[in-house]
Amino acid sequence: MPISGVVITGAAEKKQGLLERLGRLSGLEVYGDDDQGNIVAVLDTASSEAMEMLIDRINRDKDVFNVGVTYLNTEDEADRMTLETAVARPFGFKNPL
Amino acid sequence: MAQSRRDFIKRAAALSAASYVGISLPINDHNIAKAEQGVSWHRGSCRLCGVGCRVELGVKDGVPMGLRGISDSRTNFGFVCMKGMHFWKCMRHPDRLTMPLYREKKSDAFKEISWEQALDIAANRFGTAFRQGGGEAVAYYGSGQALTEETYLFQKIMRGGLQSNNVEGNPRLCMASAVGGYLSSFGADEPIGGYSDLEKAHCFFIVGSNTAEAHPVLFRRIMRRKLDNRETVKVINVDPRVSQTSRIADMHLQFKPGTDLALLNAMAHVIVEEKLYDEEFVKTYATFRKGKNEKTTFDDFKAKLADYTPEKAAKMCGDTFSPDQIRTAARWFAGSKGTVSLWTMGLNQRKRGVWANNLMHNLHILTGQLLKDGADSLSLTGQPNACGGVREGGGLCHILPGHRLVVKEKLRRQVENSWGVPEGRIPAKPGLHTMAMFSAVNEGKIKAIWINCTSPVQSLPNCNLYNKGMERDDVFIVCTDIFHTLTTQKANLVLPTAFHFEKTGVYGCTERRSQLTRKAIDPPGEAKPEVWIVREWASKLAAKLGDPVIAQCVKPFEGLEEGYELPKAIWDEYTQKLTAHRDNDLRGATYEVLGQMADGVQWPAPTREHALTGGTVKKFVKGIDPMADSESKDDLPYQFYGPAHPDRTLWIWLRDQADPEEVPDAEYPFYLSTGRIIDHWHTMSMTGRIPELLRANPYAYVEINPDDAKKLGIGPGDMVEIKSRRGVNILPAKVYQGPVEGMVFVYWHDQHKDRMINKVTKDAIDPGSKEPEFKICAVQVKRVSGPTPLKPFIV
Repeated sequence: MPISGVVITGAAEKKQGLLERLGRLSGLEVYGDDDQGNIVAVLDTASSEAMEMLIDRINRDKDVFNVGVTYLNTEDEADRMTLETAVARPFGFKNPL
Repeated sequence: MAQSRRDFIKRAAALSAASYVGISLPINDHNIAKAEQGVSWHRGSCRLCGVGCRVELGVKDGVPMGLRGISDSRTNFGFVCMKGMHFWKCMRHPDRLTMPLYREKKSDAFKEISWEQALDIAANRFGTAFRQGGGEAVAYYGSGQALTEETYLFQKIMRGGLQSNNVEGNPRLCMASAVGGYLSSFGADEPIGGYSDLEKAHCFFIVGSNTAEAHPVLFRRIMRRKLDNRETVKVINVDPRVSQTSRIADMHLQFKPGTDLALLNAMAHVIVEEKLYDEEFVKTYATFRKGKNEKTTFDDFKAKLADYTPEKAAKMCGDTFSPDQIRTAARWFAGSKGTVSLWTMGLNQRKRGVWANNLMHNLHILTGQLLKDGADSLSLTGQPNACGGVREGGGLCHILPGHRLVVKEKLRRQVENSWGVPEGRIPAKPGLHTMAMFSAVNEGKIKAIWINCTSPVQSLPNCNLYNKGMERDDVFIVCTDIFHTLTTQKANLVLPTAFHFEKTGVYGCTERRSQLTRKAIDPPGEAKPEVWIVREWASKLAAKLGDPVIAQCVKPFEGLEEGYELPKAIWDEYTQKLTAHRDNDLRGATYEVLGQMADGVQWPAPTREHALTGGTVKKFVKGIDPMADSESKDDLPYQFYGPAHPDRTLWIWLRDQADPEEVPDAEYPFYLSTGRIIDHWHTMSMTGRIPELLRANPYAYVEINPDDAKKLGIGPGDMVEIKSRRGVNILPAKVYQGPVEGMVFVYWHDQHKDRMINKVTKDAIDPGSKEPEFKICAVQVKRVSGPTPLKPFIV
């Protein structure tokens, strides 16, 4: 279950509306913001895939210019990969060589 | 994970993000310490793209578990994109190659063999090819993702050992025109300034670059600059396709593909006609050229520009913007306190890519938008070490380490003497450039080729043609890589290599910045660093051929431990012997110094003291660049000491608009352009194996302008055939107001045979840089069916 720290940047004058919309997103917690349109948030999702989808959803907001990731901790997934209980294999396939 | 630990990590994540934008949070730093119990953080560079973001890899119990940006780094100030955040997942991936694999015939199945057997086979086959055909029968094809130490050692063995200049790399496919542009305009490769100009610029001219997706961390810096100075900073985006980058633009000039040379000349026309140029700067530092040895005058230049009035150029560009918009763009460019231009493949991957680069530089020289804060002509690099390893380390067929030309005898002697090999050992004739190299493979003239860390089966233009040669059983192919690729499927010998952070070495990014990544964890199975593989192979090759000179090439590195001591010794040899007194002087940037720096060193850095300041922010400026002082010939503040311009001036070129090799006609009525998407890297052998990235964009699609889609009866998701004179793809449609009418766009990462767009692209090359024109060709576009379920494909 990954956790990331992000800076979401949008137009400063539209920040309030953006904060309200972000507040409705599951897995996102706003920690702070400033007058330049920067919003500090923590994303906490069930999987890296869900994290990617959440970031994509934020990116698609009309008032968001950029989502900058500064920190990512996926130690649960790393543990699972090591123990091979979750195989990071794509749902493509391997051809025999 | 206990709840309390998750809380600590969340607070640490929030503090990390807040610190990068200067926001204070009411959270105690104690949370970070708690979150990091048992975790060690290892400093290095991101593995993907040419920005050079500095990161720290988190390792717990010997297992990588996370990544964070380094806030002190002047490349990224702590930010990393999502693609970069995931690259470390390749490290423990179950698909990793962990044993050498061999098959005698390409139709056979691979069998696992030992390293001893593998190196014997590689030495035997290269030795046999050399005995039969000399240096022309062997080749090395490398990568802008290989470490500098790797590229340097490979080319040393090829040139000093096997007497072959058949040394190439995939930067030929993306950066060669930028190299040609810098050399022919400024006399020296690589940009004068760098990223530090972004926060000081008042005008951004972004052409042929979707910075938001291809270089998102740099885009963030540009965006921040714009948002913080909305009225005073202008952003001009010039591209046939509206992209994510356009979102922050004050002006987007969308034009008919291949006509941007006319647009750039038209901007020069306005600058000259309206006397917006810096007359004193031009008079003092510039000369005008028709050819390398053909000088001309300002009046000739002005007369040439008469063909490019804004009215004429707007028409040439497809009447998609007005003449007045060209005038406005030129005024913004020339009149700002500092203008930074940024471009990537849109200018480079063209039949006249060098000319396009020259015309971009022309605008900067004319207006004096160079050498000062906030002004630069900045070609963005696609790969993390195209600059450091390949352009600087001697990774192309015509250049030796330290920006030396192969054809110059004096420079060859310098290299031979540094290596302690006999004079005359390095052939005087440059080797085969990439497209010529794979043509020679097609013809069976190259009998043994080593392909390192790249997949030409997918990445060459018109790839069907070149893949035939790689299928030949009389062409022996060695691949060194971390995963299987479409190219390993055509290899005889596949050697498993260590990945980033599993080995030590240097990457040199876009802005002349060299940065060290130290080994943090062991590679899986029997995977090995390339420097170990090359050293051991060369030793066996020397024995096989009975050639003491080959042995001499690796003698300084014998017996050194491969995780740190070996790459350090290679870096020391390269920097201390081969970059000394060259324009990329890196003698001060030792491992000891690089290890101290959050973000490495920008060359020239001839001394330790200068390197410890971070190196040279602006080339050619006295008082900033130590070589501008040491190489000074007069009292002027700027000294253009680059190796390609003996007259020490900047060259303004007279270049005409040149059409692409292939333009639409009645039979193939659409332009095709190709590019990247934010989630994927190159041939997807890495990002395609990271499920969250693959699922975000599981397969390629074709972007079609809604007006074109309507005419062709194509709806969203419909399957569409894209056919050129060379090949065909069938892809789902994305109907989108992105590409200009008359053009379709496909991203090039997909490995599936139906969606591998380089089957369709054209292999015409720039006559100067030899870079292929991936960006433009003519195609038919046809709906074949409604939406069809697709599966992603990774070999």
